[in-house]
Amino acid sequence: MTPPDRPRARRSARGRFGEKAVLLALAAAATISVLVTVGIVVVLVEEGALFFTDVPITEFFTGTQWFPLEGKFGVLPLLNASIVIALIAAVVAVPLGLGSAIYLSEYAPERLRRVVKPVLEILAGMPTIVLGFFALDAVTPALQMVFPGLGLYNALAAGIVVGLLITPLISSLSEDAMRAVPNSMREGAFGLGATRRVVSLRVVVPAALSGIVASIVLAISRAIGETMAVTLAAGTIPNLSWNPLEGMQTITAYIVQVSKGEATRGSLQYDSIFAVGLLLFVVTLVINIIAVRIVRKYRTVYQ
Amino acid sequence: MSTLETPAPPPQPPVASTVRPLAKKRARPSEQLFKWLVVGLTAITMAMLIWLLTSVLIRGAGSVSWAFLTDKPSSNPAKAGFNSALRGSIVLMMVTIFFAWPIGVAAALYLEKFAAQSATLTERRLRERLATGRVTGPGAAWTRIRLWWLRIRPRVVHLVDVNISNLAAVPSIIYGLLGLAIFVGVMGISKSLLAGGLTLAVLILPIIIIAAREALRAVPMSIEQGAMALGATRWQAVRSQVFPAALPGILTGTILAMSRAIGETAPLIVVGGVVYSTAVPSLNPLEAGNEALLAMPLQIYFWTDQPQASFQAIAAAGIIVLLATLLVMNLVAIILRNRYSKRW
Repeated sequence: MTPPDRPRARRSARGRFGEKAVLLALAAAATISVLVTVGIVVVLVEEGALFFTDVPITEFFTGTQWFPLEGKFGVLPLLNASIVIALIAAVVAVPLGLGSAIYLSEYAPERLRRVVKPVLEILAGMPTIVLGFFALDAVTPALQMVFPGLGLYNALAAGIVVGLLITPLISSLSEDAMRAVPNSMREGAFGLGATRRVVSLRVVVPAALSGIVASIVLAISRAIGETMAVTLAAGTIPNLSWNPLEGMQTITAYIVQVSKGEATRGSLQYDSIFAVGLLLFVVTLVINIIAVRIVRKYRTVYQ
Repeated sequence: MSTLETPAPPPQPPVASTVRPLAKKRARPSEQLFKWLVVGLTAITMAMLIWLLTSVLIRGAGSVSWAFLTDKPSSNPAKAGFNSALRGSIVLMMVTIFFAWPIGVAAALYLEKFAAQSATLTERRLRERLATGRVTGPGAAWTRIRLWWLRIRPRVVHLVDVNISNLAAVPSIIYGLLGLAIFVGVMGISKSLLAGGLTLAVLILPIIIIAAREALRAVPMSIEQGAMALGATRWQAVRSQVFPAALPGILTGTILAMSRAIGETAPLIVVGGVVYSTAVPSLNPLEAGNEALLAMPLQIYFWTDQPQASFQAIAAAGIIVLLATLLVMNLVAIILRNRYSKRW
């Protein structure tokens, strides 16, 4: 049946059984990464659905009180706390991160840059439990000197350390975006008499804007998902407030609080951590998708 | 008004003297100000890092000792040791790497070296086979399925790509919920080092895949093509040429992923809770299913959460040990990268 013009060697190489088995095994490994996503979604939706059979979804999203032991499940205080702390973190991290990025990309000599950049990235790799300890042990006492009467647990200290955590994220990604701006654009502007500040602010930053904005959006998503620093520093009392000097409990801190104790499987408290986990997952996913969209839509490709 | 309008004065030609000569090369105040602003912001960030490190060192250095590393936990802060946490973290890392590394590297190999390759030749061969009518019945159906797979494969691979980068951005506490529901809930593993290690394995899987793909991508195609031109199949070329060349890069990425895993606290709390235990876990990873979930970051959290100041000191001591471990891991990664990385 084999046509005579087909060389035999190629056929035998193609037909090796071992090769196909290996390929199948590798493909199976790649499938596992998809299964993880499916697993996360299924677990959160399934367990969350159990929660919503007991607690109406309208009460969940409009209730302003979160007292699980009294059966009050209004998620607004938790969500609000996550947002307040992420915003404080952004207020801290955007100037620090952008300033460092502009300095490293436009001002710093190459040798200094090679030292400063990895040092900044130490902050990004810092375990968040360390930042939580730092907030409790050093930041809050320092803030208490500025704001007498500040409690041990407050959103401000939590926001500041989370801001520190996401600063290298902003500076690193923004700097990459700025360095991708071709030198010819800088030289063109210098040739027209622009100073270094004007080149930085009017040429490089606008050209790299999509990358910069995306880095900030990603950093905020990271701040919302941050757990240990906010659990230790902002406390575990749900509090619907915009006052950063008060303690408040974030979504992530609530999950930790319930997990610490022994919430029995199937209890309403056990289900509630999956419900708020689902909310957290959706919020961070939406923010990440926005970041990807920003890059894709506004990116200018330079040669 | 007189009948005679005074004519508008003719536009004056610019007087030569208004064109100022180039200013002397003295930086303008706004320039200097801006430069000092960005320098200052960078310096503040560095200063915060230094503040963090020194405050931890000052608080904890006095408590770090050999006894601290070898003693069991205790409710008495003066006697409490870090040994159980240290052992727990070691076993956790063994379990994590045992599951995450093979799966992550295999997935990277498939995505980078097989799925992303063009399949024009295979596609043509399958089409020919259908056209000649040599295959019939189930054989033909199978061939059609393969053709269909080849057609949708690029889109599927793209989706897997997007999925992996999204996974890398999922908050770590969500992985804890996954581990709690799947490993503890569905699979019935006790809240042990095994459950924690599996959860961390899932957590770093996307990081390992991304790092391994980058390392594989850095090996030039010509290496693979050379091997294939000498008669190797793609798998042979990848196994004996591309993979060894990419190995240092893959290992560097793996160590960095592990240094992420070793500091993770939140997923472990969700999976195992915070238990006070004086047990000393065995270093045998096969026993991991029976050992209470203890790890360095969990112990640090437990101590930090205690109100007494004396516990804060040993928490800081624990942090020093954790940071020293991270430092060593990162140094190994850097040495590995510098010593074995090739420029093609």
